[in-house]
Amino acid sequence: MTEHIKDPADALRFQVLWSRLISVADEIATTLVKTAFSLIVRDNHDYACGLYDSRGEMLAQSTQCTPGQAGSTPTVMHDMLRIYPPETLEDGDVLICNDPWIGAGHSPDVFVATPVFHHGRLIGFTCTCAHHVDMGGRLGGTDAREVYEEGIIVPVSKLIRRGEPNDELFRLITRNVRTPDKVLGDLRAQIAANHVGADGLRRMVDEFDLDGLDALADSVCDRSEAALRKAIATLPDGRVQHEVAHEITDDDGEPITLCLALTIEGGAARLDFAGTSPQVAKPVNAVLNITRAYCVFPFIASLSPDLPMNAGAFRPVVLDVPEGTVLNPTYPAAGMYRSLLSYFTVEVIMGALHKIAPDRVMAPSGTYPLWIQKFAGRGADGREFVTHFNAQGGQGAFADRDGVTAVVFPGNIASTSVELFEHETPLLVRRRALLTDSGGPGRFRGGLGQETVLENCAAGSVRAALSGGRFHVPAPGLDGAGPGSEGAISVNGAPPFTRPDRVDLAPGDRVSLRQPGGGGFGPPVARDPERVAVDVREGYVSAVGARQDYSVVINPADGTVDQAATARLRGALTSSG
Amino acid sequence: MTGSRLRLGCDVGGTFTDFLVHDAETGTTTALKIPTTPATPESGVMQGMAQLEWDRPGLAAELTALIHGTTLVINAILERKGAETALIATRGFPDLLETRREIRYDIYDIRQRFPEPLVPRHRRREVTERMRADGSVDTPLDQAEALATLRALVEEGVTSVAVCLLHAYANPTHEQDIARIVREAGLPLDVSLSSDVLPEIQEFERTATTTINAYVRPKVDGYLQRMEQGLRGAGYGGPLFLMQSGGGVIAATTARVAPVRLAESGPVGGALAARALADAAGHRDAIAFDMGGTTAKTCLISAGEIPVTRSYEVDRVHRFKRGSGTPIAVPTVDLIEIGAGGGSLATVDGLGLIRVGPESAAADPGPACYGRGGHSATVTDANVVLGFLDPSDFLEGAITLDVVEAEAALARDIGDPLGFTPLEAAAAVISVVDENMAQAARMYVAEHGGNLERAALVAFGGGGPLHADSIARKLGLRTVLVPDSAGVFSALGMLAAPPAFEVARSRPVRLAYTDREELAAAFASLSAEARAVVAEAAPGAPIRERRIAEMRYVGQGHQLRVAVDNPVPAKIAASFAETYRAAYGYAYDDLEPEIVTLRVLAESEVPLASVAGTRQVTSATVEERLAWDPTTHAMVAHQILPFDAVDGVIQGPALIGQPGATIRVGAAARAERVAGGWLRIDLPEAL
Repeated sequence: MTEHIKDPADALRFQVLWSRLISVADEIATTLVKTAFSLIVRDNHDYACGLYDSRGEMLAQSTQCTPGQAGSTPTVMHDMLRIYPPETLEDGDVLICNDPWIGAGHSPDVFVATPVFHHGRLIGFTCTCAHHVDMGGRLGGTDAREVYEEGIIVPVSKLIRRGEPNDELFRLITRNVRTPDKVLGDLRAQIAANHVGADGLRRMVDEFDLDGLDALADSVCDRSEAALRKAIATLPDGRVQHEVAHEITDDDGEPITLCLALTIEGGAARLDFAGTSPQVAKPVNAVLNITRAYCVFPFIASLSPDLPMNAGAFRPVVLDVPEGTVLNPTYPAAGMYRSLLSYFTVEVIMGALHKIAPDRVMAPSGTYPLWIQKFAGRGADGREFVTHFNAQGGQGAFADRDGVTAVVFPGNIASTSVELFEHETPLLVRRRALLTDSGGPGRFRGGLGQETVLENCAAGSVRAALSGGRFHVPAPGLDGAGPGSEGAISVNGAPPFTRPDRVDLAPGDRVSLRQPGGGGFGPPVARDPERVAVDVREGYVSAVGARQDYSVVINPADGTVDQAATARLRGALTSSG
Repeated sequence: MTGSRLRLGCDVGGTFTDFLVHDAETGTTTALKIPTTPATPESGVMQGMAQLEWDRPGLAAELTALIHGTTLVINAILERKGAETALIATRGFPDLLETRREIRYDIYDIRQRFPEPLVPRHRRREVTERMRADGSVDTPLDQAEALATLRALVEEGVTSVAVCLLHAYANPTHEQDIARIVREAGLPLDVSLSSDVLPEIQEFERTATTTINAYVRPKVDGYLQRMEQGLRGAGYGGPLFLMQSGGGVIAATTARVAPVRLAESGPVGGALAARALADAAGHRDAIAFDMGGTTAKTCLISAGEIPVTRSYEVDRVHRFKRGSGTPIAVPTVDLIEIGAGGGSLATVDGLGLIRVGPESAAADPGPACYGRGGHSATVTDANVVLGFLDPSDFLEGAITLDVVEAEAALARDIGDPLGFTPLEAAAAVISVVDENMAQAARMYVAEHGGNLERAALVAFGGGGPLHADSIARKLGLRTVLVPDSAGVFSALGMLAAPPAFEVARSRPVRLAYTDREELAAAFASLSAEARAVVAEAAPGAPIRERRIAEMRYVGQGHQLRVAVDNPVPAKIAASFAETYRAAYGYAYDDLEPEIVTLRVLAESEVPLASVAGTRQVTSATVEERLAWDPTTHAMVAHQILPFDAVDGVIQGPALIGQPGATIRVGAAARAERVAGGWLRIDLPEAL
């Protein structure tokens, strides 16, 4: 705990209660994983689980979750309660909603919430958001123009009433989606997970003799708010501006631009996005919930990573995002691939923070945007399959260390296990390996990107929606460093895609995905030549790359640094510069 | 069956090697503690054997079993002192060890790190081959290429290889071919195959586990070989058994194939012993509390069960953050380790707060009071200054503690910065370290949903019995149990573990597509295999079995364990639905259940080495010494007496001495040695 606590007994009790809340939230996540049917939930961990008090205030969330969904959770319960006020809820009810504007910005993220009753009184809610394998619509609508093309939207509804399933709603959902057994199975997993969490909350209330959860919520939220304010107050007050031009274009063909004016004042951060591009007829619009998630995230992640996460943590970051822009689009904007854009919110905030506190930030990352591939077709047994494949690029470097290679950021979902994937699909993964020279050269190097090659080994064609980015705008380096490598998607060695796209893969077709590297930090010539030699030995950097990017000459015989040649090269650079 | 029932438990820890001889006929135990010989741990074992033989001639020949726990594996990983290891992977997949699962273990920490891959990239080689998910061959193994690769590795000085090929759990042929090539070419390489070490789906977890196995195997193999030779030389003709991380002992021959299963070999002994003692004392719920030189370990025993996890990790970047280490996906006892031991360093931080641990002075140079060149204040120094430890009788007189050095260290590191006397500083240090331990235990119990109401604290290890009184009070526990020979209690746990072996076979089948005969036959063959291993460890003893089906609904990825008494599919389906409903609140008629894995756990019913000894009382003069009383904040007179002299009820404050451990009985507590020989401390209700 970062804040000052006066009474040690209070502090202790708080820590014990907090630890129990996390453990209940984690138990929800564990149950979800254990009972889910889709790989995206049970192996990629694309979910978030939260606990709420009786008013819908978020108390805590699971340790393992993805920030986009988790960042939407503080408001989702309030929105649900607007439709179903507490007095309309009964023991045994379960609510559902996947409206992008209430939830996490696209239809596959389905929220299921269970009111928790104890001795006949509503004490709170457990809620899970899971990314479903399919919600209907055009398969992986990489070219959707409106939300109508992106699958069925279930407004806030009762999925279960007093323990009785709402059969009409179940039938409506399962009739509209691919692989209904998996969607139904995952919905049931969410219901079971909430049930286990509700039991945990009731046990906790009994054990600690609490009168409901509301007072505890106030206490945890106030503490988190105060702690984050204190952390933000360590930054110098002031106002800075930054903008990022995205490689995806708006409806006029101009690059989509994210404009930010960041004001730090008295322990609060005000983010004004005036000037950001208007919403587009492409599936990349990020609803306000998602924008908020990725605006709060950089402050917590770079200033106060141990902060207890709850509704209070969202208060010190104030957003002003004009309506009708790509970061606050209005209905019916498409948003299936909002992560192509929303991850760059972190880049623009990091860029602004760099002007205030350069040592705190990460260089632009090759992990923006998220790469996620969706495949559908029939397996050898004739059964329909729909599944995802995830693999990500390299993180940006820091002022004092290299970027992490092949990692997800700022979202948080696991890569796809090759073996599990091949059990589900007739595709074969032919290659998954790091790309030499893909990390942005710098005093500290960007994380490496990687290459994945997938082959359609089915008898028939497989439909694929392939998405990624940095196809022509690589992750730039900071403070004199070089950019990471560009991303690329191509089929059978044809010229690479210029944007995420759908394609039918004939038997034998091979898809190559090259996830980009992260930007470096600081001038490459300032990198210790011995570290460059290690990079060359490990194949992270080629000998050619060492010479061209780092001005380091490696002896081909033994892999050591040719000190004299390196000194000459670096000296020439200094004198000419 | 021999007439004698002597068994020896031997626990090689980081600082000490503990021995415990148990005589099943008389129920007596004999303990011995000697310094570990880190460079060649087996020589310490042999020294101990020699001393035991000296004390009781003919002992080695009379022993029927020797059960061994070792920190060799975990230390080799933590200290990066394993073999020169290479990884052989399917062509196209050299980086699985480094790309991990890409997920971040702490979503809000932008600067998180991951452990360095155990095998650097230049030692990761690809071979041309490919299996498919169904076990069919997509690309045959290029044997000539494999041989050339292996030869090149030998030339580079590699001595151990991990072979982890895609889908080898489904078809191990290519991995086995590589092992054969090594054999036939006579290459000096130790080979670990993923299909032997962890024949389970998911390439990262299997690769990580197999790599760790390869990294430690040559070391463990040589060690066990030398141990076996040494034991034979010492006159011991019986088998050498090893304690597995998940409980259960296995023969050394089995252990040598997969030493990765020994990573938590030592701590599991303590957990098992604590469970046995709690059980004997009538407590189904207990907290095992083992405090040693550098860390304290806590394990929650709930309803008589020790928690076992399959998502154990080693080499964590953040010791207390799940996901920040390298997975070892084999069954391992689920305990927490806190950086709080006798050697933990005490300092004052920038905010003027006292911090204790996790940094430790370890055994070398050790606490300031050891007089071995350590000058920093430690927990042991504070215990000396507070009068809890007898300077002239520490570790049976092996070290004479220097009180002056301890006071000087406490004054310099704590007292002077805070304006405390050395005594006040010492009391503050102990209060902080006890609070740290209690808090960590409290959170661990909360996370595990445990219930402390009727739980007992079982205290052991060199420091456990000294700190237990205070920690139990902080946790609101009423009972502390301290065994005879608390300092070597983990070794007793090894003896208490029944010879047990689990055999499993993954064979996914929908319940509707199998029948009673098929299932019965499958269980019978597993049973025969498991029984054979147990019979080797406990010849002639009756064996009990647990038959388990791991099941799920078709389409799910995780299984529930369902006990199978009668392998009739309809009965199994009903048990599964019942188990599922109990765990998750729902069960479904429209979904098809399937069996993924069948398991048989065979366990010897042979009377275990009982933790209950006998209460032999020897007379001794009760002395008095001034020691700190945290309730009155003053030095008060404590009764001082040896453990064996405890007769009747001892009223605290008292300090009771055992070889290698001191038991503190605080003010208003009552201690009594019960008939089983252990000490029960009843704490007052109010603080």
